[in-house]
Amino acid sequence: MENANERKEILDGLLEVLRTVRTIDPARLEGVTEETDFLTDMNTPSTELINIAAKVEQKFDIEFEDEDIDRMGSKVKDVIDLIIMVKERGANK
Amino acid sequence: MTEEERAHYFDIIANGNLVGIEPSNLLLHGPTKRLIDTYHWHSPNKGIVASYSPKERDVEDHFGIFRGVDQVEAFAQATIVSCATFLQCRKENCLPDALRDKFVPAFISIGNVSFQNYLELGDTFISIGNITFWKWRQMVCDGHIYRVPKGLDLDDYFSDFTEERLLKYDISSDFVKVAELHDITGRAILIEHFNKLA
Repeated sequence: MENANERKEILDGLLEVLRTVRTIDPARLEGVTEETDFLTDMNTPSTELINIAAKVEQKFDIEFEDEDIDRMGSKVKDVIDLIIMVKERGANK
Repeated sequence: MTEEERAHYFDIIANGNLVGIEPSNLLLHGPTKRLIDTYHWHSPNKGIVASYSPKERDVEDHFGIFRGVDQVEAFAQATIVSCATFLQCRKENCLPDALRDKFVPAFISIGNVSFQNYLELGDTFISIGNITFWKWRQMVCDGHIYRVPKGLDLDDYFSDFTEERLLKYDISSDFVKVAELHDITGRAILIEHFNKLA
């Protein structure tokens, strides 16, 4: 079962990733929550989501499939859900 | 395409490259908006060299000059469309027409582009593109466009081209650089996702 600590740890790791993304204004990372939307709240170009996903793979040592990226929503919680799902998928292999 | 031709094409997709392939067999669009005549060099995971000679229709009402925006489009067709289509076919073990029912090839972003010369009717140009990112059906390419010296046999010239030379744009100074292009980005979007954009 997911727990709050795990989601908090992933959010912290995700924020580390986002600080390295050139197109994200660091000021917009203040007060990010799981409900924050990359596109509407952070003004992230939609093409940048792919670059963020590539950095997330490296950060969390996971591997996304095409279908994972196709299904990924634009909110922070969507990315956290995806990371958890892919980690569990990897653990079950 | 005959069954024999399809079998040959499958072999090219699995083991070869785009040199010798007719662009109309790879690109789903056309013919009037197809801005590639010939693929001269291709390394599937690295990059490509393709040429085009502007037609009357391409320069009509534009002083006989091939527009800058069409240069970007020609470069995109040579790189993010051709190269990504080839790799996706290789991944799915299919021919390009099978992708038509699943994806829309979308031109989604460009970075800096600078024009340093021009192209007119009667010129031939090459797009030299190198792949900087390819994952999850999204491809990003950088590259240059050059005017080709008159009378040059491009197939012969690029017959011994290499990935190292591609990365250094190591070609004769007789080629005239026309444009530099960065972060040309395209993605094969699922049709159902594309339709939601409307």
